[in-house]
Amino acid sequence: MDVLLKIATLEAAIRLAIPVALAALGALISERTGVLNLGLEGMMLSGAFAGYMANEATGSPWVGLLAGIVVGCGFGALLALAVVTIRANQVVTGIAFTLLASSGTTYLFQLKYSIGQKPPRVDRLGMPPLVGITLVCVAALWFLFQRTTIGLAMAATGESPEAADALGYRVVRLRWIATTIGGGLAGLGGAALTCGPLGLFIRDVTAGRGWVALALVVFAGWRPGMAVAGAFLFGLCDASQLRLQGTKTDIPYEVFLALPYLVTLAALVLRARASRTPASLAVPFVRGVH
Amino acid sequence: MSVVATEQPGTPPGGFLAGVGRRATSGGVASQIVVPVAAVVAALVVGGVLIALDGTNAFSAYREVLRAVFVGKRGLSDTATAATPLILVGLGYSIAYRARVFTIGGEGQYLIGAIAGTAWVTAGGIRTWPGFPLVLTGLIAAALAGAAWSGIAGWLEVRFGANVVISSLMLVYVAGSVLQWAVRTGIRDPASFVPNSRPLLAAQLPRLPGTSTHVGFAIAMVLVPIAAVFMARHRGGFRVVATGFNPNALDANEISKKKIVMLVMVIAGALAGLAGMVETAGSTGRLGAAASVGFGFEAIIVAMVGRLHPIGVAVAALGLAGLTIGFESTQRVLEVPSTLVGVITALIVVFVVIGDALANRGREGR
Repeated sequence: MDVLLKIATLEAAIRLAIPVALAALGALISERTGVLNLGLEGMMLSGAFAGYMANEATGSPWVGLLAGIVVGCGFGALLALAVVTIRANQVVTGIAFTLLASSGTTYLFQLKYSIGQKPPRVDRLGMPPLVGITLVCVAALWFLFQRTTIGLAMAATGESPEAADALGYRVVRLRWIATTIGGGLAGLGGAALTCGPLGLFIRDVTAGRGWVALALVVFAGWRPGMAVAGAFLFGLCDASQLRLQGTKTDIPYEVFLALPYLVTLAALVLRARASRTPASLAVPFVRGVH
Repeated sequence: MSVVATEQPGTPPGGFLAGVGRRATSGGVASQIVVPVAAVVAALVVGGVLIALDGTNAFSAYREVLRAVFVGKRGLSDTATAATPLILVGLGYSIAYRARVFTIGGEGQYLIGAIAGTAWVTAGGIRTWPGFPLVLTGLIAAALAGAAWSGIAGWLEVRFGANVVISSLMLVYVAGSVLQWAVRTGIRDPASFVPNSRPLLAAQLPRLPGTSTHVGFAIAMVLVPIAAVFMARHRGGFRVVATGFNPNALDANEISKKKIVMLVMVIAGALAGLAGMVETAGSTGRLGAAASVGFGFEAIIVAMVGRLHPIGVAVAALGLAGLTIGFESTQRVLEVPSTLVGVITALIVVFVVIGDALANRGREGR
């Protein structure tokens, strides 16, 4: 393998890592406040769909990204309503939201492009802006949790909501904010996929990347920088999978197809026992009841 | 991050499973039946609005759904056929969810079951066996393979604490790759131009007399009361439910929670694997590259709407299958996209989950 090809794979790795990295950051911020967002895959998928549609309508991938954020935030706020305010079970609600997003986008896409009709490719953003956005997001999250009072209050909410509440922080409001922003980041990640490396929307285009992002947050021990590093690892596997499919090897190419998911599984297993899990993750908060 | 023990010790499990075991009280009965019925009605109304927005009369669309299922020539048989894999996978989920083990990997276990069963019944020296032992051993192979695949996710949870929700789903994608390999090289029919297994021939499930559905439906319907008795009357079922209520209670009584997690994962996997082979041997007749059609995900809806009760699962599966069959006809006759079924059923489960939480909140008065 010559140097050029290696660089091409590296570039592809970064391209494929960006959507997962953004979604992982989205999962991270809500999980730090104690809200497990298993609707992440659905939010990513809705963002991918909204991004594609907006991009196709206006011809601007930037509008696509914006649409992804807006739809993701909306979905995030709905999840917050369901699990923070109404206190529905976070695991089941998240899975239900993902199922809804999957069938909803499939339905809307079929309404727009009936079977046999070929959806157009849309303008794609190059690498530099997407890398820039991702770096800004990870820096912002790092700053939020390491250097600001509100970030500390959010983390406290995820560890002991009763203590945060006793200190006068508004637990419900903090969880709402974090879950909404988290949804927005996941939506942005989805839009970054369709307006970035793909330039296309197909049914279930995110292909489990939202679930991968959730696993990476565990792997990263809920640290933003590590989450992005984990996403790069996934991107690297995804990119080499695409490249190795074209080469002639004795190993069946399906092994490479499964590789990103196997590596994610390994990453999940490796760090699952680490004790950095927010203590009140997925536990609903009721004021005055312990 | 363990899914099993998300509730803090000492606090009663709230939310989704709060109604389980409370059937004796009047509030329990109401929320057991009222919430899902209200959720179905609400979802059908939203679906009707979507149909109307698309420019079709919603009432004629739903009338066509009913006509296709109850009046159409093969409507009821097709509904039974479509419900079969949903019942099987849904039964497995309902048992696992009772223990608060939220596996969502049924689709992967379904595929692995279909691959293993097909590999067995099309293997040289075996495919010439007579029908009955061939079918039976094929189904057993599928159930074992599905159980093993599901057991991986269970083992990763009990041994390493890896979240079963995520790991079981990762294994769905791995199973998809295994399927691609199997039909391309592993168990490919040498005479076939496209990637396919050999046809199942003698291993195919016979029709049920007097219908156009296959024996798999009868198998599923027999497993429903067995699962119900297991959950309500058997020690194992009691332990499963007890684990769901308080994961630490059994540990205190020297029954390992880990064993319960493994037990429900293996049961869920066996049923999903069985579903894969039943569908292959009953409906498609051979295994192809497009064998993953999403029964493993639809069955999540079936389990939740069926209140994690075997009879509820059967009812929900038949209802969902009827909607699917009906909307296929609606698409042909009225050009309403059949993918709308997915939206309606996903809405049902969202409404059920939220309705449960609201009912629970109202009961606790906070």
